[in-house]
Amino acid sequence: VTTLWDTTGTAVVKALAAERRQAGSVSSGLALTLVVVVDEKNVADAEAAATRAAAQHPCRLLVVVRRRPDAPEPRLDAEVLIGGRLGPGEAVVMRMYGRLALHAESVVLPLLAPDAPVVTWWYGEPPNRIAHDPLGVFADRRITDCSLAADEIAALHRRAEDYAPGDTDLGWTRTTLWRALCASAFDSVQGPVTSARVGGAPGHVTRALLAGWLQRRLGVDVQVDDLEGTGLSVVEITAGDVTVSVTRGKGSGAQLTRTGQPDRTLPLPRRELGDLLAEELRRLDPDEVYAEALEAATGSSGLADRSAHRTHIWHDPVESDDPDPALTVT
Amino acid sequence: MSNPLRDPRDRRLPRVPDPCVLVVFGVTGDLARKKLIPAVYDLANRGLLPPGFVLLGFARRDWGDGDFESVAKEAARKGARTEFKDEVWQRLAEAIRFLPGSFDDDRAFDTLASTLTELDGTHGTQGNAAFYLSIPPSAFPIVLQQMERTGMADNSRSGGWRRVVVEKPFGHDLPSSQELNNLVDKVFTAHDVFRIDHYLGKETVQNMLALRFANELFEPIWNAHHIDSVQITMAEDVGIESRAAFYEQTGAARDVLQNHLLQLMALTAMEEPASFDAESLRIEKRKVLSAIKPPKDLAAYAVRGQYDQGWLAGQRVQAYRAEKDVAADSRTETFAAVRLEVESRRWAGVPFYLRTGKRLPRRVTEIAVLFRKAPHLPFAKTDTEELGSNQLVVRVQPDEGMTLRFGSKVPGSAMEVRDVAMDFLYGEAFTESSPEAYERLLLDVLLGDASLFPHNQEVEDSWRVIDPIEKWWAEQNDSGGEPELYRAGEWGPKGADDMLARDGRTWRRP
Repeated sequence: VTTLWDTTGTAVVKALAAERRQAGSVSSGLALTLVVVVDEKNVADAEAAATRAAAQHPCRLLVVVRRRPDAPEPRLDAEVLIGGRLGPGEAVVMRMYGRLALHAESVVLPLLAPDAPVVTWWYGEPPNRIAHDPLGVFADRRITDCSLAADEIAALHRRAEDYAPGDTDLGWTRTTLWRALCASAFDSVQGPVTSARVGGAPGHVTRALLAGWLQRRLGVDVQVDDLEGTGLSVVEITAGDVTVSVTRGKGSGAQLTRTGQPDRTLPLPRRELGDLLAEELRRLDPDEVYAEALEAATGSSGLADRSAHRTHIWHDPVESDDPDPALTVT
Repeated sequence: MSNPLRDPRDRRLPRVPDPCVLVVFGVTGDLARKKLIPAVYDLANRGLLPPGFVLLGFARRDWGDGDFESVAKEAARKGARTEFKDEVWQRLAEAIRFLPGSFDDDRAFDTLASTLTELDGTHGTQGNAAFYLSIPPSAFPIVLQQMERTGMADNSRSGGWRRVVVEKPFGHDLPSSQELNNLVDKVFTAHDVFRIDHYLGKETVQNMLALRFANELFEPIWNAHHIDSVQITMAEDVGIESRAAFYEQTGAARDVLQNHLLQLMALTAMEEPASFDAESLRIEKRKVLSAIKPPKDLAAYAVRGQYDQGWLAGQRVQAYRAEKDVAADSRTETFAAVRLEVESRRWAGVPFYLRTGKRLPRRVTEIAVLFRKAPHLPFAKTDTEELGSNQLVVRVQPDEGMTLRFGSKVPGSAMEVRDVAMDFLYGEAFTESSPEAYERLLLDVLLGDASLFPHNQEVEDSWRVIDPIEKWWAEQNDSGGEPELYRAGEWGPKGADDMLARDGRTWRRP
């Protein structure tokens, strides 16, 4: 571990190279660079999740913590670790003070692994516009999490307005196990679908995306019910006289019911943040299925046809009336 | 109508098999406990088993469902690759059944047949069943007859699919393998028969195809113009353990060379398949297998050895002939090395050296492709003295990955070129634990994907290569010959080194 106080980007690059030499050939197989944008108070959670994901997808981990953009003097503190508490790979944790926080890319760009894909993950309220954050502009894939916004559905609409191919949201990742259960429950059902229903907590982003996906795939209007509890509770699909439903049970199981067949219990664990992140890192191409679900959930269209490239838009959270949470200040 | 919720672009959703029953014959055996049951658990844990899945054990034990469940639980806890969770097991346990019976017991098989029908109602298994024959080959005929008698193997009678999984050995020579194939294919239809060669389930073996056919870098030089020779090695440090009875009858060539090594060779030498479905892969693999010819000069290019006592990994180990239940004058080979050629334009004149053995210094399986020397070296002779031939090595196990060796300048004022190695470790660039071979193959059986399973004709083609070699060795035995001894803990007998020396080559030390 090398800890650098009040340092420069060049010194961080040198420290990383020195750590790599010392560690031998640890990093010959880097698949990608993961940039994590996080608040000071959530650093530990984000580090734990990124470490878990990095165990499955060896990557260079760059954690950026933006602090006090109003501080009079810009300052950079950095910690360089290889094979330490952040897993077997390479990691750099950077704290940027003052105006440097708005120019984080000047430190991060030289640290990206050569020619490997870049994934940026905002662990916090999603940006209003990703183009406001230079750390999102150069990324090949951008991961937000609408469930961390105060108004999840409003955040989801902003994601649709701001969408570019290569964007994804952990609210969508949380639908995967539900979608897998629905698909396998529906495998042996014949005939056109007549109705579908999704029940869960009101204003829940995962419920909205799952309903959007069903609507898009099945071609029927999906009824959305408000139910008590956290997150999704039930999905029900009817095709003619056959109804299949998946209901979250107690613990990590789900009840699968189908007309004319005995009920079954199936695994439906609540996954850790690190596992969700790992799922996102598995594929780095644009997720068209997410784009379609997002369109259906927000009533927008043409998302997949947009350009995958963004141009940076200068945004100063100190002077703005509506500071973008992407440039989080703590 | 296809399921509207399944979308080929939606690659987050796993492929999950149809509801089905997995019937395991010989479920109390080693393989079932160490590999199969843990693989079933791992699949369940990864959410890859269908809602209606039943594991049905069949063996000659006076057990109920509960007895079997507790044995299976212990096996899963010990052998599973993924974390053992009680809740996952609880759900799996609800779907575990056991039927006691011996293979000649008509009543037991009638019960099995009616149980399968019953499960269609209670578990919604829709007539689908896979039968895993984890039993000695001598028991195959009777079990297959029982299945035929009860109509269990009949797709149309069951209303779903019925598949059978067979483990190696697939016979012990060409006639016996043909007999076995006929028997199995008569009871089941040919495309419902899955022959497991667990080597083909390994990620690196599949990566061989990706390496060759997804890249521009390798395929243009993958031919006799640029490749000097290929060495395929499967070495084990263990002896025969408790398999003396089986091994005495089999030997290294039948145990390993006929299946694993020839399959690895086929994947290395085959042409590009039209697509990656099972049928196209089979066509190409068969083509190359039928072009492999046994060596003409068997005395020079088919070497066998047997381990003598020695020291291995700091421990004293006994000779093969001193192992329990091995004849004191046994002539079974524990090491085999052969030189094969592929009679095609691509490979004309390129020898493929295959070797396998027990009690070798370490456990390793690898495919080494050795390239020719550069046609002209614009350096002084002394500058390139330490330059060997370029090599591409695919490590199948352990440390799955690849090494590329090439020459590089030694830093300094003089021009001096020396070999360096560039290493790619599979586990480093991708997920840290790739699925166990059995896990992958079992899932493929339930999904009906046969691309990683050798076809009966591939098996027969392989025997065509091995039979003349076995016959030659048998003749040697008749005239008083025997395998050359090698000390346990060394890389095989001297004859294997002589074989390569004759061609002006040496074995690569893996």
